[in-house]
Amino acid sequence: MMQTVPFDPPLPRSLSPRGCMAAALGSPQNADDRDLIVRSASGDERAVGALYDRYGSVVYAVAYRIVGQRADAEEVVIETFAQAWREAPRFDVARGSVAGWLTMIGRSRALDLVRARSRRDRITAAAAEQPGGAPGMGDWRPDPSHSVDHTERRVQVQRALQGLSPSQRQAIELAFFEGLSQSEIAERLQEPLGTVKTRIRLGMQKLRESLRPFYFERGT
Amino acid sequence: MSHPGQESPQDLAAAYALGALTSEEARGFEAFLAGSVEAQREVAEYREVAALLALAGPEGRLEPGLRDRVLQRVRAGEARSVTPAGGVPRSRSTTTLWLALAAALLAAVGLSTGLLSLRGRVAGLERTLAAREQALDQRQRELEAREATLNAILEPGVQLFQLTATGDPEPGIQLFWDRDRNQAIIHGFRLKAVPAGHAYQLWFIRDGKPVPSVTFKPEPTGHAKVERVEVPATGDISAAAVTIEPESGSPQPTSPILLVGALKKS
Repeated sequence: MMQTVPFDPPLPRSLSPRGCMAAALGSPQNADDRDLIVRSASGDERAVGALYDRYGSVVYAVAYRIVGQRADAEEVVIETFAQAWREAPRFDVARGSVAGWLTMIGRSRALDLVRARSRRDRITAAAAEQPGGAPGMGDWRPDPSHSVDHTERRVQVQRALQGLSPSQRQAIELAFFEGLSQSEIAERLQEPLGTVKTRIRLGMQKLRESLRPFYFERGT
Repeated sequence: MSHPGQESPQDLAAAYALGALTSEEARGFEAFLAGSVEAQREVAEYREVAALLALAGPEGRLEPGLRDRVLQRVRAGEARSVTPAGGVPRSRSTTTLWLALAAALLAAVGLSTGLLSLRGRVAGLERTLAAREQALDQRQRELEAREATLNAILEPGVQLFQLTATGDPEPGIQLFWDRDRNQAIIHGFRLKAVPAGHAYQLWFIRDGKPVPSVTFKPEPTGHAKVERVEVPATGDISAAAVTIEPESGSPQPTSPILLVGALKKS
């Protein structure tokens, strides 16, 4: 099923003075993701809080998986939502869901962090060999406040990943969590570049088919 | 559908959404992407897939205070990047830096103040020491002068003569004459101050005629001392006298004799 993406031009912040629009939009807790972006663009801090409530754990999860340290992951979360607040007026719905947008911001900030620090602190390729086994997360425990959708999505994502071949899963995780290009993955794995490209392409196609019903865009 | 290179858009769309293209590959694909709605949909969907990978790990519980920190950062409107592990966020680094600078400044100010105070005290002590050394030197010179005077008047052959006068209190002059060196030392006491532009002048009476000698002014205490006074080496030096003359001295006495004493060989 191909997701339809309505055209909704970015909201110019100059045309939506922060605070004025927010007051007219009611409680942010009942708003959908795009409304929250509009509220953020209009200056409603509660909208950012609501986005954090919905996707803070997702951003934290990807950040933690990449940076491997709680303090750094938290800083990535903070910066991600701060960046979202700043860039909310320029959010482009054509590029995907709000959750995907936040997740990719978090991933980028986390990778920036990892690239900026010593390579020895990085989560190594060993993590990619053990999908679902991110190190150092022993103090995590389920948060009952999270939506059932996240739990269901998590189960489905892990199941979809298990449905990939180990080499496909490894290539995809190296790209997403370590920020490696296909060429770098080929070099890392000592595999032909074409082989890596094929693994990524086929793996992503499988994931798309498996996860389409669980896209963030369908709401929480 | 057109596409760059030898790969299909589907190939590149998945890798692009996953962030697995090099910068050069990404730029080329974005140029293609701008003109392909289908490719845009492909990328958008693969982005959703990529975002779901965030859930690949176990679910975690966020620290309760993190939400407040997020909102604080939002309120601050800070545009910052994330700093590496082991370091601190830039804001904290900046804060720490400012605090460190402030602390260093305070320390420097305190240290500078201390140094300035110390330097002031040292300078004061140095001035005191210099003054005391100067006074000590003066005392030393006075002692040496007294020692020299004492030695001079104690030299064998030196004779002491008194020049006297009438008055109340009675002034006087001691004249130590070293005949071997034809020099004398005179020491006056209870001498009155002289008018401005004037001084006492010593006369030796040689062969019955006054020979001009040194001029001198008494100190406020009434004392006066002149050393190495040349005494005429020839002729009969019978007496010495003192008059008040212009301070540049006179070839002949221009005022009455104030003090006089006979200089007779013992």
